[in-house]
Amino acid sequence: MRLSHIVAAWRMSVRELLRSRIAVILFFVIPTLFYAIILLTTTHKEIFFKLASVSEEMFIRVSQRQEALVFMGLAAVGLLTSFLALNLTQKHAPANRRLILCGYTTSELLSSKFLTLVGLIVGIGVYISLLLLLFFQPRRLPLVLLGFMLAGFVYGCYGLMVGAIFRRELEGILFIVLLANIDIGWLQNPIYYAEAQNKFIIRHLPAYFPSQVSMAAAFSDHSVLAPLGGSLVYGSLLLLAAGLVFGWRMRIKK
Amino acid sequence: MVNVVEVRNLAKSFGKRCVLKDINFSLRRGEMVGIVGENGSGKTTLLKTIVGLLSPSAGEIVVREKVGYCPQEMLVFETLTVHENFAYFAAAYGLRQGPGADGWHGRESFLLSRFSFAPYRDALVSNLSGGTRQKLNLSLAVLHEPGLLILDEPYSGFDWETYLHFWNYAAELKAAGACFLVVSHFIYDRSKFDTVYELREGVLQCA
Repeated sequence: MRLSHIVAAWRMSVRELLRSRIAVILFFVIPTLFYAIILLTTTHKEIFFKLASVSEEMFIRVSQRQEALVFMGLAAVGLLTSFLALNLTQKHAPANRRLILCGYTTSELLSSKFLTLVGLIVGIGVYISLLLLLFFQPRRLPLVLLGFMLAGFVYGCYGLMVGAIFRRELEGILFIVLLANIDIGWLQNPIYYAEAQNKFIIRHLPAYFPSQVSMAAAFSDHSVLAPLGGSLVYGSLLLLAAGLVFGWRMRIKK
Repeated sequence: MVNVVEVRNLAKSFGKRCVLKDINFSLRRGEMVGIVGENGSGKTTLLKTIVGLLSPSAGEIVVREKVGYCPQEMLVFETLTVHENFAYFAAAYGLRQGPGADGWHGRESFLLSRFSFAPYRDALVSNLSGGTRQKLNLSLAVLHEPGLLILDEPYSGFDWETYLHFWNYAAELKAAGACFLVVSHFIYDRSKFDTVYELREGVLQCA
């Protein structure tokens, strides 16, 4: 792997992303829309729930609005990063293959895209955390931010994989919206989770570990090490899968 | 003289459909070979197999030169400018930066001027006309001064003047020792080619 190749490809990836009108619009619209809906539809009534990653039989008591703000923050990060990551591997795939024919390696191109994704994860995570701060102060803000970034990491890698698998945008978007809607937008909500059956399924979905990090950090003093590790393993596995599919799609016979 | 390209008993099938059957030919330094054929006759498949975008089902391909491949589709980055596309591909080819004779900036200026699209250097590719995009598509294939040019419909979309510029440039490269494999629906002037083959029902024959 040549660093100069990675840097050049990363710079071009960032430029492409910044010139994508839909990406810039979504960056501002999704979090604003999600938080506006929370503010319009929730109250400060207290709710109780148990955190799945905390073994003790302890109920957490918070305002409905605060819980929803953290939960929807996670949903916004997951949806945004996966959509933007999808673009990174799906858009211009034939031109990327031409680059490989001209001398790039698959790993150099994928590394540059992953670097772009890391920048996106940090940017989106910080932006949504700042928005969250406008409405309430979580107990451990840096760890809430970390949870957002982990959600971005897991869902971003999922987006890279979906972008590498599907050639057409519509199919890719469908797979992203479908999973994000079911997982990070619904099943991982602790209020739903507390009463759900077959929790085994929910615990194995991509947003489980990151949402536990953010929730535990926002409303308790419990350790987030286990879900932190789980998030990193989950995201890394998705990244590996994305790399394998991308490599297969970009293969050339030298 | 050593052949730059040797294709021996090449076959390519997609499932049960056999697109290329027992293709044999070679190219020497300074030689220009044209391949004509109807739509769907397998011309593009042949070129893609030679450059490595497709794997052959059988046979052998030997390439002994730096390849410049101009695909039929505009495989460029539409949300980047013309200059950024040059920079991206220059990085891929491992070309040095800088305006000197050995830097890619010099090559970029030369190609922009040669194919008359210098005013579009900083324009986004998505805003360019089809002909100008094709100029970029072709320029990216010759940016690193390859010894073997594999060109798929290289002048489609060109106006007459650019078509003539293309052939003048090709003649210069040919005189300098580069060899060409050009695929087209139509070859207007056969005198420009050393050999013209026709691809018909997967079989290559002299036209």
